[in-house]
Amino acid sequence: MEKTEHKKGFTIPIGPQHPALKEPGHFRITVDGEIVTDVDVRLGYAHRGIEKAAEARSWVQNLYLFERVCGICSHIHAMAYCLGVERLAGVEAPPRAQAIRVLVAELERIHSHLLWLGVAAHEAGFDTLFMYSWRDRETIMDVLERFSGNRVNYSANILGGVKYDLDDEFVQFMCEGLDYLETRSEYYLEVVTTDAMFLQRTQNIGVMTRSQAELLGTVGPTARASNVHRDIRYEAPYSAYKQFPISIVLDQRGDLEARFVVRIKELFESYRLIRRILEELPEGDLAARMPRKIAEGETVSRVEAPRGELFYFIKSNGSDTPERVRVRTPTICNMMSVVKLAIGHQLADVPMILAGIDPCFSCNDRMFRVHLDQSVYANVGPLKG
Amino acid sequence: MDGSRNHVIRTLETVKRWGRLNSPWALHFNTGSCNGCDIEILATLTPRYDVERFGIKLQGSPRHADVLLCTGPVTRQAHDRLLRIYAQMHEPKYVVAIGSCALSGGVFADCYNTLGGIDQVIPVDAYIPGCPPRPEAIIDGIVKLLSSLQPVELQMEKETV
Amino acid sequence: MRTTEEILYIAEELAAGWAWDTSTTKPEPNRLDVFVKYLEDLVPIAVGLRVQGLGYLAAITGLDHGPEADILEALYHFCTGKVVVTLRVNLPRRSPVVPTMTNIIPGAEAFERELSEMFGVEIDGLEHPSHLYLPDDMPVDLYPLRKDVHVQDIVARLKV
Repeated sequence: MEKTEHKKGFTIPIGPQHPALKEPGHFRITVDGEIVTDVDVRLGYAHRGIEKAAEARSWVQNLYLFERVCGICSHIHAMAYCLGVERLAGVEAPPRAQAIRVLVAELERIHSHLLWLGVAAHEAGFDTLFMYSWRDRETIMDVLERFSGNRVNYSANILGGVKYDLDDEFVQFMCEGLDYLETRSEYYLEVVTTDAMFLQRTQNIGVMTRSQAELLGTVGPTARASNVHRDIRYEAPYSAYKQFPISIVLDQRGDLEARFVVRIKELFESYRLIRRILEELPEGDLAARMPRKIAEGETVSRVEAPRGELFYFIKSNGSDTPERVRVRTPTICNMMSVVKLAIGHQLADVPMILAGIDPCFSCNDRMFRVHLDQSVYANVGPLKG
Repeated sequence: MDGSRNHVIRTLETVKRWGRLNSPWALHFNTGSCNGCDIEILATLTPRYDVERFGIKLQGSPRHADVLLCTGPVTRQAHDRLLRIYAQMHEPKYVVAIGSCALSGGVFADCYNTLGGIDQVIPVDAYIPGCPPRPEAIIDGIVKLLSSLQPVELQMEKETV
Repeated sequence: MRTTEEILYIAEELAAGWAWDTSTTKPEPNRLDVFVKYLEDLVPIAVGLRVQGLGYLAAITGLDHGPEADILEALYHFCTGKVVVTLRVNLPRRSPVVPTMTNIIPGAEAFERELSEMFGVEIDGLEHPSHLYLPDDMPVDLYPLRKDVHVQDIVARLKV
């Protein structure tokens, strides 16, 4: 009623249990009428203490722990951990194992992007697309299940290589699935770029310029939709990406539509890469022998998860347990951009902007309270490079 | 007089139970899970599994829900929220723990910030194991929970039919 | 795009050639570790990296060398292409303080808050409204990732 109250705005708490969020995160959104003036995030509902637990478990046990940092990108977490530990031990996985790792990582990317497409469409109120993309996602879940026996935590990695091999029957099954998905992805690309109702929810919403994206340190498809050349597969090829290079997918616009387009175009890149790997799949062993104790040292392992750069810092003291494993997940880098982008938009756009970065709270579970000061940008100016 | 009144009440009870068992509304709460179980719960809604054919609907508000689907090993931060959501649900309410973590803490059993399972905090009616359980297993678990709520005579009636 | 060698050269020149007191090592071909002796130099070096276009802060890692060594270490990983430039500072275990980087890298806040909560490193210039990652009822003097804190201690000191 009073003027002061109006000035302060009204705070809307969202979460941790909320219909729009499948994961526990708590947002306090201050609005002035319909316009968002401030966003606070409180995470940590999914903080389990994994980094501490890792110090008490052996190198092999930790593999299964890190696989469960996140259920959606389980393979890539295990892969980052394996690559780091193998580098410390001075062991290199055989070429066939490397190729299979990358192949599963790309299958996982397809599953994750289709999942995201559905969830983001659901946030926009476009439930038909949600049902479509999740129906098609089952194709890839079948492929992963046929490969590893489980739909979500495939546990394909072991230290020194992989557990499962590809056989002709499986390859045939997978190729049929990919052909189907390719036609469907073309349809999705058409839908997200032509459907007038949907475009109203995505075009020019949550625009992030290139310099903003670089300054905020965004990673993954969120950064690439703002034309930032940041893709670890391309910048610093690891594992079999050296042999099977990937081309980077970029978009100039930086709005929500661009994030849809980038992710769907990445699907085509993944289909292409998987077919290429199948053509030139190296023969040989599936795993190299790993010592039980890992030599003393520190290493950094960076891989490209579906959501962006995944950063592992691993320190060994020469025993059979790690001294320290630091996990930096992509969502924490991108969460900053949500807080920044949401300000000035309508409240109804906030779930879409949040969905636009493909958040994964179980990866990320931490909290920060940000009142971004525009002077920071004024002082620093755009980044070079 | 008394007899007919009892009859009416009994009939109403039957109708109520019939309604409850045939359209349970479920609420999903993630208490610190890795998302694996959550995406499988979400997958049960989608065309291949389509739980709505059993009348099961995923609901946003605890006040409208009959069944609470819980995933995750219950982190300390989620503990109070889980209790609050449970308290907000109206009677009769049923809790389903989904996934190894929700059953026993799973791989996170000795982490400092987890409490080791939903039943450490609130009573659980059905347990669905798996890491994560398949959507079929989740549907099966909920349907089993519901059929166990049928009164004995009704269960027998169904079998004879 | 600059090559790995060029980036490493630029970073090494920057760390060694200026007025600050540093020593550098290359633990792996694509990594450069810069040991920063004085805390005041940390932010200026980060500014220097930014000016050279190497300013993407990928993570801040805390390390505890144990009660005997009496040292905590903060590692600032800056990634460009294949190169990881790590600024390392030693901190006393008793009252560790690092200056905030949020004035030049807004995204650093999340990492700094984590460092502060997990290792008890005070961040100079950053206000701490409440817990970041840890539950609300976590005692403020308990830092889970320090080596002398065991899971049993934490569990014993928490209510539920």
